[in-house]
Amino acid sequence: MTTTPAPGPRTTEPWKALARRSTLWSSAAGLLLLLGSTAVVLSWRNDLPDPIASHWGTGPSGAPNGFMSLTQWVTTLLAIGAACIVVFGAIGWFWGKAAMTRRISAAATVWIGGLLAVVQMAALASQRGLSDAAQAHDTSGWWLAASYVVPLVPAVAAAVLVPGDAPQSTTARVPANAARVALADGERAVWIRRTGGGPGLRVGAAAIVLMLVLAILTRMWGLLAVPVLLAVLFASMMVFEVRVDATGLAVRSAIGWPRTFIPADEVVAASSTTVHSFKEFGGWGWRVGRDGRVGIVPRSGEALLVERTGGRSLVVTVDDSETGAAVLNTLADRIRNG
Amino acid sequence: MLWTIDPGSDEPLFAQLVAQVHVALSRGTLSTGDRLPAARELAGSLDLNVHTVLRAYQELRDSGVIDLRRGRGAIVVGGTEHGHDHVRTTLAAYAAAARAARLSPEAASALLKEEMSR
Repeated sequence: MTTTPAPGPRTTEPWKALARRSTLWSSAAGLLLLLGSTAVVLSWRNDLPDPIASHWGTGPSGAPNGFMSLTQWVTTLLAIGAACIVVFGAIGWFWGKAAMTRRISAAATVWIGGLLAVVQMAALASQRGLSDAAQAHDTSGWWLAASYVVPLVPAVAAAVLVPGDAPQSTTARVPANAARVALADGERAVWIRRTGGGPGLRVGAAAIVLMLVLAILTRMWGLLAVPVLLAVLFASMMVFEVRVDATGLAVRSAIGWPRTFIPADEVVAASSTTVHSFKEFGGWGWRVGRDGRVGIVPRSGEALLVERTGGRSLVVTVDDSETGAAVLNTLADRIRNG
Repeated sequence: MLWTIDPGSDEPLFAQLVAQVHVALSRGTLSTGDRLPAARELAGSLDLNVHTVLRAYQELRDSGVIDLRRGRGAIVVGGTEHGHDHVRTTLAAYAAAARAARLSPEAASALLKEEMSR
């Protein structure tokens, strides 16, 4: 990363107060979901076999092959949950300069709490009234799917509740060595480019086809909801439109949400770079990477990097990013021309 | 792709858009199957009336470059695999000849237009 002069005095960093607040309440919410479900399963203590089934085989019988006491089960889940919440919360606490980072961190802490809550309620509800845990049948795949999808609701709510960044405009000129395009006085310009593809989209397409075939073969028409949900998920995370114009940079998923916008007066400099989505962001899609950097990375490769005021940055993998960066530098600098 | 509008130019605004699509096609920046931006979005970003963009798109449809369908947007149908490389090479030679003859860009394009309308 190139170093840019700090736009203002570094004495106060207002993002830290915001980051602490959102990390605290979202971690508390995630923990509360987990503790709430723990209280519920503990109240079932007298109906549950001892030990309980904690793991199921993958064979056609789906018979349980792991057992533990209820106390062990509850402690294990709490430990896993607490560890995940600490890790996801730390991202927001230490690197939450951008509202987007704080949002993703808050959503992740709430989501993991909700996931473990659904997992433990589903795994144990089916064992109530059994005298021997060996009779416990596997919880259906539906519950597994639900444990991933249902917590998305409070997670998205948490993301929405995290306040956005206050405007932080700059009047400093875009560095002279940053790429530019030649535009006449008064000439207007816009750069629009679709981006997407990558392994995420291929995996998504394969999963959608597989689920369609499965639904048709088994005649379980309810299963048709899965490919539809998958299509929406992949359209929102793997296909984006990137637009640079006089107002700034806008990135919008194929279904319109999620989206983000960097106003031209908050652009410090734009450049073309190369991104390894898995190495730098741990996967594909809309992500937070090392140091809390926000990346919209449906694939690896050529990317547009926008350094933003307040030490924030955004990277989007998109072809012809050199043109995009040059247009953004030119238009962002134009409004600071006096 | 990059779209620009120069309100100071003598060329009508819609014609500037049409010309840029032709240039992008000949360079291979645009190819068959690509989708042009929604007219409203392009108009908003370039501070144009949406009818100006729609007029440009209609012009492109009438010349068989794009397909306009409600809900699907404007899809490029008249692209070629590698753009019009040979046309560009010949054109570069023409431009060099025009420069050598000290023709102005206006005079050179007037000659080209006359030649093409034969």
